[in-house]
Amino acid sequence: MTAQSAPRPAKPAAVVTALRRAYGQRIVIDNLDLRIERGEFVALLGESGCGKTTLLRAMARLDPIQGGTLDAPSRPAVVFQEHRLLPWDTLWRNVSLGLPKSGARERAADALTEVGLGNRLDDWPRNLSGGQAQRVALARALVQEPELLLLDEPFAALDALTRIRMHGLVKELVSRHQPGVLLVTHDVDEAIRLADRILVMRDGTIAAEHQVTATTETTAKRVELLAELGVSTNDNTTTNTLRS
Amino acid sequence: MSTIEQTASSLGLGAGSVPKPSDAHPGSPRPTVRFAENKRALFILSWVAPVVLLLSWETLAGIGWLEPHILPAPSRVLLTAYDLAVNGTLLNDLATSLRRAATGFTIGGTVAFSLGTLVGFSRIAQAAIDRSVQMIRAVPFLAMLPLVIVWFGVGEAQKIFLVSLGVSFPIYINTTLGIRQVDPKLVELGRVQGLSTAQLIRRIILPGALPSVLTGVRYSLATAWLALVVAETIGAQSGIGFLAMDAREFLRTDVIVLTIVIYAVIGVLADAIARHLEGRLLAWHPNYDKKNR
Repeated sequence: MTAQSAPRPAKPAAVVTALRRAYGQRIVIDNLDLRIERGEFVALLGESGCGKTTLLRAMARLDPIQGGTLDAPSRPAVVFQEHRLLPWDTLWRNVSLGLPKSGARERAADALTEVGLGNRLDDWPRNLSGGQAQRVALARALVQEPELLLLDEPFAALDALTRIRMHGLVKELVSRHQPGVLLVTHDVDEAIRLADRILVMRDGTIAAEHQVTATTETTAKRVELLAELGVSTNDNTTTNTLRS
Repeated sequence: MSTIEQTASSLGLGAGSVPKPSDAHPGSPRPTVRFAENKRALFILSWVAPVVLLLSWETLAGIGWLEPHILPAPSRVLLTAYDLAVNGTLLNDLATSLRRAATGFTIGGTVAFSLGTLVGFSRIAQAAIDRSVQMIRAVPFLAMLPLVIVWFGVGEAQKIFLVSLGVSFPIYINTTLGIRQVDPKLVELGRVQGLSTAQLIRRIILPGALPSVLTGVRYSLATAWLALVVAETIGAQSGIGFLAMDAREFLRTDVIVLTIVIYAVIGVLADAIARHLEGRLLAWHPNYDKKNR
């Protein structure tokens, strides 16, 4: 982010205050506060079932909230764990989904070029590898020039090497487009690699917060974060890993 | 690719003309070449039985073992076809039948697709309509024939109504099914991308339902044809069915056999057209990929 010398806009990308989210009687998120600036990359770590995806879906306005306030763009861009490309549309048609008709192909072409697929405009999604499909999904999100980008474990289904390449691509694209980013993940290394700030979610609230700077001692941070996720490095590792 | 080839390659018997490295060594087994020969042999074999059947039919009729009024020779049927086409009303009757089928298909298909779409989208419409349709569907639609005759007489309306009725159920069922089966995750994506309801229907729901709808169309072509045969057999003044019933009066078995053949040919053609349509409209679909056909 430091490469961009332009001053950060005063208005944050999203502000969540005292958010409450419940399924019937069961409260999943309670009294949660969160603020994401424009150009800021926030990673949200947590065990399965801690409510992190629920929070993302609420911020995407896919689910209603039962309390608190949500001040976020009416149409944030979302990248899901699955690519969710329409199999019956070519790549450029997929990327331009929701764009106004005029100039849609050009904008889609630019976005696909940014993710390295500028020569596949008229190809079908079924001819793509998992990583390529997820890159198209990323292009589809960024072509909307979102103020807020929500990433719901978008790299979880990819193999290790593809994931590392995607990390580089995402970091580059985010620094160029400067949206506020919320990345939901359970991959500690991914969070450290990508985020400016890491939040740890537990039992429906933010349990811990970490700034990630260039000088952070990553190994120590990793151990600390793993411990906060309930994964310690001593003899009961196996049990804890299974639990998480 | 023929069905036999497809089956063979799906069994992993070989990769067409691509030779395996082992083929270069003399004395080693050559499964690829043997398979290629087999493939042709199987293809020829699949045509042997029908041709033998036709030839024996022709021979038996030729030497007089088959009475012409029981089963005329295939060559005789062909001659009759030519004769009726040039001097008679065959082309006229054919056009009449096709027009009835097309009209009935259009009316029945439109009504069924509209109802199916409505029920697929709206839980209220489903509650209001679906049960009644399912109950009527339990009736074999040809059992409605006497009632249809009472309503419409034996004119054009009766024939077109019967065809429409036969067409509507497969299309209705497959349309509702197709819409229900559209991946909710893609619908959610459409909402995320800010699509309006109309755009959502056009870009996501209808394309997603299309494979199922086209399956319905293929089924309904078969029932449309069946309905037409039955409708034209009763009180028609023109059409292929009329030709058959007229021929029965004069014991013109050759004409009757001809009409049966015509019904069969048109049925096969209609199915081929529907398949072609599927191939074109569903080019994106892995199951309809030309490479897999």
